[in-house]
Amino acid sequence: MNLFRSEEDARRWSEFAPGSEAGIVTLEQAMAIMSTPRHRNRFDGRYVSSSPGYTAAFFAKLREVTGGSPYWEPPAT
Amino acid sequence: MADLAMLDRTYDFIMRRIIADGRAPHYTEIASEFRVAPDVGLGLLRDLMAVGLPNWLHPHTDLIASFPPFNNLPTQYRLGVGGEWKWFAQCGLEALAACWAFPGRTVEINAPCLDCAQPIEVAVRDGRIERAVPATTRFYVSVPVREWRANIVYT
Repeated sequence: MNLFRSEEDARRWSEFAPGSEAGIVTLEQAMAIMSTPRHRNRFDGRYVSSSPGYTAAFFAKLREVTGGSPYWEPPAT
Repeated sequence: MADLAMLDRTYDFIMRRIIADGRAPHYTEIASEFRVAPDVGLGLLRDLMAVGLPNWLHPHTDLIASFPPFNNLPTQYRLGVGGEWKWFAQCGLEALAACWAFPGRTVEINAPCLDCAQPIEVAVRDGRIERAVPATTRFYVSVPVREWRANIVYT
């Protein structure tokens, strides 16, 4: 989970995995992914007990931001 | 296993210490915070790490290695707030999420591009990207989401 100066840099990276192009997103997309209660509410004093309830919203945001890309599809539970 | 309320308090204590000091507390400091014996503090730490959150200890130790959005072991993602550069992010994605630890303040992220080693600078505040140099900066994860948990340290 790394930052690169451009999409071309990401594709040239020595650890770039063929077929993983869908794993490249803009900073705005990445920020949106990290903006649900799963990441915002870590500082509310109740995170351990509350965090299981944050999963659905996080997964929904992943789908929304990435247009339902299979690459970003959460694991089946 | 400690009860959830105690794990909430332990998690919160660790997080607030990292935000304040730039480093995670030792389990003896956890024990001191809750006025319990050191072995009880160790038990709280181990119980918290066993909950299943993406936190982990350094292998073969009881030292906190990663506590997202922060990393207690330095990474390439340096974080600065108000001119203080005492934090590291767990990864490129969590570097962005670090803004939630500092509401109303700008979090500066400095990192090398892992392809060319040239600098990347990003500023984020309350979930908004204020600045990115270069503007073409991208995030990349080489593992599909369904495999994140199995590759949690690598990703």
